[in-house]
Amino acid sequence: MTAVLNKKSHKSIKDLQRQIAVYEDETAYKELFFILFNSLTRFAAGIVQSKEIAEEIVSDVFMGIWTDRAKLNAIDDLQLYIFIAVKNNSIRKAKQLHKRTTVSIDEIDVEMESLYQNPEQRLISGESVNRIEAAISHLPQRARLIFKLAKEDNMRYKDIAALLNISVKTVDNQLAIALKKITTALGAPFRKKS
Amino acid sequence: MSRDKIWHLFSRKLANEASTEELHELQQLLEDNSALFHEMEAIEELWNSEAQEDADYLEATYHLHYEKMKKLGIEPKHIDESDEVVSTSFFTPGRKKAVAMFSLFAIAVVSFFIIKKPTTETPALTAEVAATPKEVATKNGVSTKMILPDGSTVWLNAGSKLDYTRIGKSGNREVQLTGEAFFDIVKNPKRPFIIHTSKIDVKVLGTKFNVKAYPEDKTVETSLVQGSVEVFVKNRPGEKFLLKPNQKLVLLNNAETDVLPKATLNRSAKLPIIAIDHLTYRNNDTMAVETSWMQNKLVFENEAFAEVARKMERWYDVRIQFRNKTLEDELLNGDFRKETLKQALEALRITTDFRYKIEDKTVLIY
Repeated sequence: MTAVLNKKSHKSIKDLQRQIAVYEDETAYKELFFILFNSLTRFAAGIVQSKEIAEEIVSDVFMGIWTDRAKLNAIDDLQLYIFIAVKNNSIRKAKQLHKRTTVSIDEIDVEMESLYQNPEQRLISGESVNRIEAAISHLPQRARLIFKLAKEDNMRYKDIAALLNISVKTVDNQLAIALKKITTALGAPFRKKS
Repeated sequence: MSRDKIWHLFSRKLANEASTEELHELQQLLEDNSALFHEMEAIEELWNSEAQEDADYLEATYHLHYEKMKKLGIEPKHIDESDEVVSTSFFTPGRKKAVAMFSLFAIAVVSFFIIKKPTTETPALTAEVAATPKEVATKNGVSTKMILPDGSTVWLNAGSKLDYTRIGKSGNREVQLTGEAFFDIVKNPKRPFIIHTSKIDVKVLGTKFNVKAYPEDKTVETSLVQGSVEVFVKNRPGEKFLLKPNQKLVLLNNAETDVLPKATLNRSAKLPIIAIDHLTYRNNDTMAVETSWMQNKLVFENEAFAEVARKMERWYDVRIQFRNKTLEDELLNGDFRKETLKQALEALRITTDFRYKIEDKTVLIY
């Protein structure tokens, strides 16, 4: 049986946030963990370059979410809040580990989750999917990071901009670059070489 | 820039940032470029599909996370409401009323409670390996009707899912149901139609009947309108229950934590409790309460508030929570069609004393 998951919507995160804050609901807490854990871990691993350390950082941030649950309702956008906390902790850790003073967002090397097609409406062959995945892995790191946050985390431009301390215009440009490269890679065999 | 305009428009569309004008502009730009149009369509499809998360991995990771919190003494408390209800407040006035109602029901109809040796759970009817999955699902607040490949008609109630992958050219007729559906099965004596749910299998040749098997509900029910059906209960292999028209089979969904009031003596047996009841008809209705949802009606008769709340959650697409647990056992009657959530709650308040608060999509009953 296929589990066709809905895109993570801010609406459902909002619901969970309230459940946790008002009712101290563990089920909601667990669900939030399930929704965000893998994606946050990939994001953190892009900064600290270690999956284990990344998981630890995300787990610690989630602990803070529970201990501060009473104040949770004051947070406007919980997903963005968690991402920023994970980013800050990851950068601190990366500085410690690699004895660096700064970590630039252009050094964040994120991995994407593997692409998934709904088997009922397969529009492209497995071979094309491979070509697309190759194109994604060859994207500049900044473009790939923005692509990941927009696609997998369903983040708005302004949220991505806030998270990465860049302008909305940069987000707009980088995503356009990413999609141009990816879409062109899909069409490559059918086009005349220029 | 103008050459790259199309990519800006496309990415804004995918990221949900495009205005109506921009969507329109993109469409016009693509009109004379059908190759690009198809490529973008495929990319959009990929963009919108989500990888299946590895639930086992997440479960294990959460477990570790939880243990870590436990060590620090800051872990969330598991809530186990069913224990609380049974041990502290079983004989509340509401319960007593429910017990009385249920005893009547139990005496008036053919009812039997069989204790057998516990057996391991094996499917009552084995199924063949599936091909490409075919599935239809409904959200809360919506129901749908569809024709299956074998010509049978299915009405799928809100918050339900039907997998009909195993209705094949080879003549197989098997479906997997989560939630509630009414089936009008095309007769084929050579090819029985089988409905699998997590707790029961229903086998039919050609007939009209309703199956209600929501995982969150207290009972799993099979209601027969016409013809005949055989019901197999999964953890009682070798037994089958034959239903006649206007009969329904009621099975406790979770016999380990839930208890039908009459069956308290059998609790240690840890077996599902089964009863056969008659369908309920209200006043001059020609349609049974059990199948009223097909006429876009929300009808319940002498049902516990907790069960009614589950129905209303699916009907109005809300979450209903009880702050006052004794209210869960109040028995309610209702017949709603076009009423809003508020109107329905107000109507229920006429006979039952409770207050409510609606906040966004959550209803608090207290």
